[in-house]
Amino acid sequence: MNFKESIRLGLITSGILIFLDLIGLPLTSGSAIVFIFTIVVGLLSFLMLRNRNGERSTLLNASISGSIIGAISSIGIVTITTIFARLQADGIRVNKVFAQILPEHTGALTGLTKVEVLSGASIWPGILKLCILFIVAGTIGGGLTALQSDKTSSRTKQFSSSPYGRYALLVLPFLLFGSFMLLKVEGVQIGGEDENTLGLLLVFLFISTALFAFRGARPGNERKLISIAIVFLILVLPQLTDLFQNAVLSAVIIFVVMGLGLNIVVGYAGLLDLGYVAFFGIGAYTFGLLSAPESFVLVNLPAFGGVTFWSGLPIAILAGVITGVLLGIPVLRMRGDYLAIVTLGFGEIIRLLLLNLRDFTGGPGGVLNIPAPIVFGVDLGNPKGIFYLGMLFSGIVAFITIRLRDSRLGRSWIALREDEDVARAMGINLVAIKLLAFATGAAFAAAAGALYASRQVNIFPDNFTLLVSIDVLSLIIIGGLGSIEGVVLGSIALIGLPEILRSVNEYRILTFGALLVVMMILRPEGLLPSARRQRELRGEAIAESGIASE
Amino acid sequence: MTPFFEIRDLVKRFGGLGAVNNFDFQCEEGSIVSIIGPNGAGKTTVFNCITGFYKIDGGEIHFRGDLINDRSPDRITRSGIARTYQNIRLFSNMTGVENILVGMEPHLRSTFFGSMIRSKFTRDEERLAHAEAVHLLEFVGISPEADDLAKNFSYGDQRRLEIARALASKPELLLLDEPTAGMNITESVETMHFIQQLRNELGITIILIEHDMRVVMGISERITVLDYGQKIAEGTPEDIQNNPRVIEAYLGRGAASGITTYAST
Repeated sequence: MNFKESIRLGLITSGILIFLDLIGLPLTSGSAIVFIFTIVVGLLSFLMLRNRNGERSTLLNASISGSIIGAISSIGIVTITTIFARLQADGIRVNKVFAQILPEHTGALTGLTKVEVLSGASIWPGILKLCILFIVAGTIGGGLTALQSDKTSSRTKQFSSSPYGRYALLVLPFLLFGSFMLLKVEGVQIGGEDENTLGLLLVFLFISTALFAFRGARPGNERKLISIAIVFLILVLPQLTDLFQNAVLSAVIIFVVMGLGLNIVVGYAGLLDLGYVAFFGIGAYTFGLLSAPESFVLVNLPAFGGVTFWSGLPIAILAGVITGVLLGIPVLRMRGDYLAIVTLGFGEIIRLLLLNLRDFTGGPGGVLNIPAPIVFGVDLGNPKGIFYLGMLFSGIVAFITIRLRDSRLGRSWIALREDEDVARAMGINLVAIKLLAFATGAAFAAAAGALYASRQVNIFPDNFTLLVSIDVLSLIIIGGLGSIEGVVLGSIALIGLPEILRSVNEYRILTFGALLVVMMILRPEGLLPSARRQRELRGEAIAESGIASE
Repeated sequence: MTPFFEIRDLVKRFGGLGAVNNFDFQCEEGSIVSIIGPNGAGKTTVFNCITGFYKIDGGEIHFRGDLINDRSPDRITRSGIARTYQNIRLFSNMTGVENILVGMEPHLRSTFFGSMIRSKFTRDEERLAHAEAVHLLEFVGISPEADDLAKNFSYGDQRRLEIARALASKPELLLLDEPTAGMNITESVETMHFIQQLRNELGITIILIEHDMRVVMGISERITVLDYGQKIAEGTPEDIQNNPRVIEAYLGRGAASGITTYAST
């Protein structure tokens, strides 16, 4: 750990801290210190793991690094706090520009009250205290990291392959589920007003770690056992979660179904589709128009009880397949950027048609009172029911995806992604496999659309904007292109997590933009990449080290 | 009797530039024939025309009596012509076996719904195809790395894998574009024997583009020489070696006359 690197880390930490402060996370001196402590331990551990073959960090060395990081990161936050305090004392309303910066906010960091800040009391004692605390926290963090890495350095190398690490990974989801259950216990008060948000976070963490546990489990009995346990817990989950949590989870699961569809088009066949929302919209509108009482389509015959969810769904899927093929035909000869632009236009055309074909789609007024799906007389038109249906849908879709991936068609798709010309020269019928990719993806999106329509009850053209396409594309990239578990993780990260971050909602897009950029730099293969992508990257690493050693 | 493979009056232009002009070519079933010529002579263009990569501007290409000009590349492959590439073009992020399985595509019959429900037919076909792919890998001599991604194969193995992938479509005519490029003498000689083995054991007709004269003269039964898109000579290796026009094309007019003078003295 050298001096320069410590300064660099300090600046990064400082930047994150200022960002958090400006977007209005209630930062007190206490929480800031905890943050510094965690980030120092985290960053240093990461660096030590990365340079495990290089120089070893001594206790003194790491402590100094920690204190440098603490000191540097305090400078940034201290500077802006001082500036804000001075401005506020002069009676300037900073929150006109920085919406979240109120006098009590500035005061919280320096231990002053709102009145004291406004009256211009000296903030220097508070600032000084903050600086010292930062440096102390950094030093302790650094020291602890060195101690811990000294003891475990031999073991951390093979954390995931060592039995303890592996068992920890396998047990973790169940612990998280247990702690979620704990929240339900009468008399336990954790999180106060935010208890249901906390519960949701635990559910997300449970599902995410379950995916990793599934990956980490040894094939055979161990994996079977883990999967059965996880599936069982997920099936009982909707019974335990409350209305809010189920509403969020049902949105997440609809995006999982869509993500799995786009994953076939983009992840397997490598056809960049930016207008994927079109199929989602067509599925939703087909089902909506057929089933809504005040429909604009003549086939809706109330005399026969109208179209139910189960009779409307196949028609919606068929409509999706047909539009998928219709989009596929003109773009057969296009590749890469051109394909992206055309599909982008296609998505917009569909949205504009929904908006402007008033006599047929209801225009901006949308389609209202879409009926809920009913199974054996049970009304599933509530978040819990939709969540269960979504699980069924995503299960079927994932099954089909796996079967196709391992088939002749899946191989042809990957060959197409790798080299279109050669794939063709191998005797692959490009027209057929491209259209199959578009049609399969569209079918999944249309199914998700029908489910979405009955979840929303009322649908409007505004539900089907370009942003949905971008969300779906982002979630499969974040999760890991071509990976089914990755789609689930991506949906949780992109669709579910923002619900937890409601308090900083305006900055949600900014935060996720930043997350995407960081992800693509640090982990281009995604959070939970497919085995193939992992091999691609591992292969590169081998090739690089091979060059280096020569 | 119609010849096994025949090109008549082939013309291919890129804009105003005539890449191949009135090229005639014939070969018999079970022969090894080479096309040689200086860089930019249009050899690979001829291959691209045969396999349907390029739309030709004139002439006819016949394969076993059928006109194949207007067929798309995948249909040409299905009719029994396979090729390799000058700069290796494997599916680099697929394993060796997967590359070969893609090559078998013309012979696979399982359908979309068959794959979805994993019907007995699909399962049987996949199992057989897999066994055959492993067998093909062994045949070209790269068994151990079979589970590795193609891009991690050694250079020589990548060349061999490309041939194996071409063989997977069970071709009757195999087009090899510089199969020994970048190889040392030992490897070239090995490859040469391997090509002969292909013809002798599998009865595949082979058209070869090659720069290494040792290989060309060693295994070709007939040689066609291209220069500026024109055929300038055709014949047995002995004919070609003594043809002044060929020497001129390769070495330039001065050198050619020098050699002729030297030979006559």
